[in-house]
Parts: sequence; structure tokens; C-alpha cells
Amino acid sequence: MTDLADWARGRAPELLERAEREAVAILRDALLDAALGDRARDREAGRRRARQAPPAAAATPSKREAQGHALWAYCVLRAGDPLPGRLPGVHPDAPVEPLEDDGLVVLTSRIPLAEFGEEPLRENLNDLSWLERVARAHESVLEGALTGGPIVPLRLCTIFTDEAGVRTMLARDGRQLREALERLDGRREWGVKLLVDRDALAAAARERSPEVAALQDEAAERSGGGAYMHERRLERLVGEVVDRLAAELADDVHARLGDWAADSVLNPPQNRELSGHEGEMLLNGAYLVEIERTDGLRRLLHELEDRHKELGARLQLTGPWPPYNFVSREAGAPA
Amino acid sequence: MEGSRYLTPRGPTALPGHPDSATNLADILERVLDKGIVIAGDIQINLLDIELLTIKLRLLIASVDRAREMGINWWESDTSLQAGGPADMEMLDTEREQLERENRELKQRLERIERQLGVGEASS
Repeated sequence: MTDLADWARGRAPELLERAEREAVAILRDALLDAALGDRARDREAGRRRARQAPPAAAATPSKREAQGHALWAYCVLRAGDPLPGRLPGVHPDAPVEPLEDDGLVVLTSRIPLAEFGEEPLRENLNDLSWLERVARAHESVLEGALTGGPIVPLRLCTIFTDEAGVRTMLARDGRQLREALERLDGRREWGVKLLVDRDALAAAARERSPEVAALQDEAAERSGGGAYMHERRLERLVGEVVDRLAAELADDVHARLGDWAADSVLNPPQNRELSGHEGEMLLNGAYLVEIERTDGLRRLLHELEDRHKELGARLQLTGPWPPYNFVSREAGAPA
Repeated sequence: MEGSRYLTPRGPTALPGHPDSATNLADILERVLDKGIVIAGDIQINLLDIELLTIKLRLLIASVDRAREMGINWWESDTSLQAGGPADMEMLDTEREQLERENRELKQRLERIERQLGVGEASS
């Protein structure tokens, strides 16, 4: 009798877990569809919208934007610092050109409004292949500019009507931009990801936790429904220990890197479908590091990887990046 | 220094066997969409749409984290999901279709509402 009740109680979490798992799988598929697979549908919707001629709201900006050009801005540099060589822009027809005013340089390139005007832009931004192309082009301009002095990266889609618009912005936000450039001088952004193998963590949990060991010994002596429930309890306990080990590991790595860096930012772990990583991402951090401390950063990463080897910890370093993660906190004039 | 296979430099020198021999898209998107200084340009793109897109991507980027917060390890158990049998898969398919339909309908409704409100025209 008690065995039966035990069995039923033991089943409940499993069923619940399974239902949750299915719900998450459905949600994940729907999200992926929405962001990755919907391109064709979006284009179709775009065509439909184009056919249904927009209501005659005569002098809307979109009318004016249909033809002509504007300027896409990439980043801000100090005048006098070495400029990058000729770089291709976000649109293949126009290369990147520096625009100097008041001690600052903005890298810009001409863009056709037929593609980058307000209305088409809105649609294009929701097309992941278009977004990828433009994001990569924007990024490679910034990387090209990194070889000189400090740069302030601008967010994607900072667009001005003409050169006068850029100069107005420099007059308005110049002080703030100069402060940011000064703070970033001699420093580089690096990305560090901590990846673990869940199985290695589970093995470590079994070895290290006395509670787990005790339960394991007991389990060996049980049989029937009691053994089943016992196994479930053991699984849950191992899961808890794994989570604790993972959290401690991520905390240790981030704390050590944070001490080494001038500044640090934690970002959410990435999704595998976009990043293609193997294992589980426990940490996705950005660190602002003095250029002369770069070798030290690499040494520290090796040391940390070594220290947590038996947990299957892998550290992945990317960079140097334009310091995207270290300018967003000083957002400029409100839009 | 180059001893570990995990300390992967970006660009053409990346070690083979890693998925991101070119910089991975997630790395770039999380930066160019969410970070970088925001200064007011002349063309005000529809922030609502950008936010929608960013939220969509953030969900994508963070979904592993979210699942873990919920205590679910689906990344471990994809195979067991597939082993759930044809009945389960059918259920998933109909659910997905339903979600897709709802998604489409919501998009259309949003477009109608935007048109009525004149969003994207002089909206400040």
C-alpha cells in the first residue's frame, strides 16, 4: 500500500517535468519560427502591404524618403588619431568616409533611402538575413577603426539626413562623446564565455556532495516502488548540487575577471541556435581591459580553466571588440 | 599561450572544430542591437519595432537561461522528447500551428492598429 502511494508520488514530479519540458519545447520552436523562420512570411506580408497602397497621408516623411540618400553613422573617433583605410559600408555602393568637426570624427557612409528610409528600414530590420548582413558590415567598420585610437561605437541605425545633421549632433553631444573617448582610451573590450558540460558537473556533484553519496548508498539497498522514489530523490538532489556548483563556478570566474578588468558587464547566456556553442553557457561577460594587460588576461583565463578542469569548464575568449558594452550606460540625448 | 583549444581568437585564426570560425551572429547582434551609444539621429526609426525585434532576439539569446530558471533542462532531453512517440509529436505540431496562426493574427492586428494610429508618421 505504502509502496503504491510512494510510486504515485514518485510519478507526479516526472509527469510535471515532462509537461514543462514539452511546453518549453513548443515555446522555443515558436520563438525560433518567429525570429528565424519567418523571413519568407515577412516578405510576403511586405508585398501585400505594398500592394495595398498606403492611405493618402500626403506629406508623410516616408513619401520624402522614398528617394535620395542619407548618412549612416558608425562610430566617433578623436580627430588626429589614425584613420582606417578604405572600408566598405553597410550599402555596397558607398564606402566609409570620415566627417570631421570640432575635434571629433564620425565615420559615415551614404545609404539609399529606398532601403534605409523609415518604412523600408522597419521591414528590413525584421528580416534576419538583411539584419545579419548590415550588422556584420557595421561591425567590420568598427573593427577596422579599432586599430587607431579609442572609438565610441554607435548603435545600429544611427542615421542622419546629411552632413549638417551629423555636425548638429556633434555640437549637441560632443562633450559626452569626448568624455567617453577619454575613458576608453588605451582599453579594449573582450568577451568571455564560460561553457560547461552538464555531465561533468553531475559527476562532480556525485563525488563531492556527502548528501548525494549517502542517498546513493541507500538506493543500492532498496527495491520496488521505494527504490524508484529514492532514485527520483537522488536525481533531484544531484540537480540541485549541479546548479550550486554551476553558480559558484560562474561567480568565481566573473569575480576574478572583474578584478582584472577596468569594468565589466554580464550579459544573458546566448541561445545555441544563434551561437552554435557546445555545452551549457554559464557566463557571458564583457570586460574592459587595459591594452597592456591583455597577455595577463589570457594567462588568467588559462589559470581559471585549469583550476576548474574537473568540472569540465571551458573559457572562450572573443575580441578585441569595439567597446559596445561600455558606452550604453551613457545614452545620449533622448530620441 | 595558444595551448588551450578553447581560448579561441576571432577571425581567420580561429581553431577548426569551433562553430564560430567567423564571429558568431549572436555575439554581433547582442552588441549592435542592444549596446553601443544611442544618439538621436535625423531619421527616427520606429522604436516600437526595434524593441519588438530586440525583445524577440533577447528571448532567443536568453532562452536557455530562462529554461534553467524554470528548472528545466530541455537541452539535455531533446532525445527523450523525440522518444515521446507519434502521439506526442502530433500534439506538438498542432500546438505549433496554433501558435503560428496566433502570431500571424497578432501581427496583422498590430499593423491595423499602427495604421489607425498613424505610427511611423509624425508621431512625437
